[in-house]
Amino acid sequence: MQDDAQSAKFTGASKYVLDEELAKIVNISTALEMPLLLKGEPGTGKTMLAHAIAEAFGMKLIVLNVKSSMKLIDALYQYDTLTRLNDSRFGDSKRDVSNIEEYIKMGKIGQAFVSRERVVLLIDEIDKADTDFQDDMLDVLDQMEFDIIEIDKTIRAEHRPVIVVTSNAKKDLSDPFLGRCNFHHIAFPEPDMMRSIVHVHFPDINKDLLESAIRTFYRLREIKGIEKKPATRELINWIRAMRTDSDFRVKDLIKGEVPYLGVLFKKSPDYVVAQNSIARFKI
Amino acid sequence: MFVDFFYSLKKAGIPVSPTSFLRLQRALSLGLINSIDDFYTSARAILVKSERYFDLYDQIFAHKFQGADFKDPTELELSEVAKALLEEWLRDPRGLAQALGIDEKALSKLSPDELIKYFLERLKEQTEAHQGGSKWIGTGGTSPVGHSGYHPGGMRVGGVSRNKSAVKVAMERRYRDYSQEGPLTEAQMGEALKRLRNMVPFGPKNKVNIDKTIYQTTKNGGEIEIIFDRSLRDRLKVILAIDNGGWSMDPYIGIVQTLFNYSRSQFKDLKTFFFHNTIYDTLWEDPPRRTKPFAVDELVRLTPETRFIIVGDASMAPYELMATDGSIYVEERSGRPSFDRLKFIAKTFSHSIWLNPVSIDEWGYTRTISAIREIFPMFELTLDGLEKGVGYLMRKN
Repeated sequence: MQDDAQSAKFTGASKYVLDEELAKIVNISTALEMPLLLKGEPGTGKTMLAHAIAEAFGMKLIVLNVKSSMKLIDALYQYDTLTRLNDSRFGDSKRDVSNIEEYIKMGKIGQAFVSRERVVLLIDEIDKADTDFQDDMLDVLDQMEFDIIEIDKTIRAEHRPVIVVTSNAKKDLSDPFLGRCNFHHIAFPEPDMMRSIVHVHFPDINKDLLESAIRTFYRLREIKGIEKKPATRELINWIRAMRTDSDFRVKDLIKGEVPYLGVLFKKSPDYVVAQNSIARFKI
Repeated sequence: MFVDFFYSLKKAGIPVSPTSFLRLQRALSLGLINSIDDFYTSARAILVKSERYFDLYDQIFAHKFQGADFKDPTELELSEVAKALLEEWLRDPRGLAQALGIDEKALSKLSPDELIKYFLERLKEQTEAHQGGSKWIGTGGTSPVGHSGYHPGGMRVGGVSRNKSAVKVAMERRYRDYSQEGPLTEAQMGEALKRLRNMVPFGPKNKVNIDKTIYQTTKNGGEIEIIFDRSLRDRLKVILAIDNGGWSMDPYIGIVQTLFNYSRSQFKDLKTFFFHNTIYDTLWEDPPRRTKPFAVDELVRLTPETRFIIVGDASMAPYELMATDGSIYVEERSGRPSFDRLKFIAKTFSHSIWLNPVSIDEWGYTRTISAIREIFPMFELTLDGLEKGVGYLMRKN
């Protein structure tokens, strides 16, 4: 496995523009077999990175979307008591009621552990859950095993999955948890980086459109008093919208008009603020 | 290897753990790190666990490895710094003079051009004199060079234009924006808010109420019915009193208020009151402090468990706090000094704090701040301060 990790270096994927610094961190985390914790504002491609890693390494991606009410056990396995109860009462299923194992369903972490091949496990937005969730997860990630209490069986990871954890910095993660992860903070892409990101999505994009769209985009991001700044995702959707509109002329954008503002600003107060400031910045 | 570096990080206040250091050693021994660039990114990913410390890390890295791969700052860079120093000087002459250890008055006689020249000379002197490895980039954040930073513009993604050495990248201090010491900006607000969320444990409906289940099942004649309850949660009542009078508070009101409006969903009961400078007999529920008064005496009717948070600069004329008729508004004068009223509030609510947007270094200069600190534990309105404040509010009894 060691050699595996070393020979396969992560260099980016078809739809993901990789920062060199981040590539190093990904490679070192896979080599050390440590979870990689990614923080950063929404739209900086935290989740996309896991997809890109999976694509580049040719591994399956298992996504655990963390919810605020989630308990660790939900992510590990589920004991379907209800089905068993039903089966025991009506007895019309093929399952063996006395064998609890038949009623154990693997959660996302469980699936990653029992998988025959090495997989990429994405634990998305871990900060949504309680700190208990992280603390409980420590041992599991450390030992790469967990017990199923009901059947007194230990599930061991056959192959240590490549683990990517993302956090929107809503809450600080607990120290012991942080101690077991490698950490990286993804900053919002610079215009140059953004240009190549857009290029990856629209290889045939008109140069004028690209330049003026990006210039306008970064200007819009600078408007004060915006609650949710438009991110990469919004930019790409926005460009897509402009490209499909046959009436759209790049000149208008250069003149300072901004069509489809609603694609960029999704909260109505933000929309109003943006509209007002656009009226002011004519070039 | 690099033990020294590790301890410098630790000394500077970055929580680095020995385990992570060993892990770095492993990465080194695996042959994964082949250049100082690699070392910079890898060591940061492994050792530093929060972007708030990235800035500090950059500074220490630049300092520690300047011998290994460090070129003297160019003339251009120096003049950039000198310019930044000048700006700093315009904003806060005394602070800068102190940091540089020179006489404020002597400096104030110089023209801007002369000032720039003077700063340049000072900087050169520093780089030359301290090449032996002692620091000329401050680690504590007080040294003027470190303080004004190489990129007053802030963030930069180093990975994009990568023709600079790791040390240079570190020197850019790209992560200055995330430094913990900075005041609370709107972006950080969300973060701070979620800290408050720690105060209210969340609970899904996942606890089986056995008594009720048995009861319901027998009632159904053996047809099993499982009753779920929510697990116990402690939802706090919070009162927020904001000083919204006076120009000194103006920049902060928006931030503070949005912060707590967001948290409305988190707290069972969030009350917001307003006051000017300090509290007398009434608090106001409306921001203009006109239509909805709330008598301070009424506060006793609320549960003493309520967390009382006051946000204000606590800066006023001493008589406003101490005199029996101290209020600057005639109709608010009642014969009881504000000082007593504040004491009354502190006594009513054992969990109360004062958040002050004024930087902690300046507290000593204002008499009323010291006086109020005798009544309320005071915390700075920064990420750090808020964290401590919330910690204080959440302590048992």
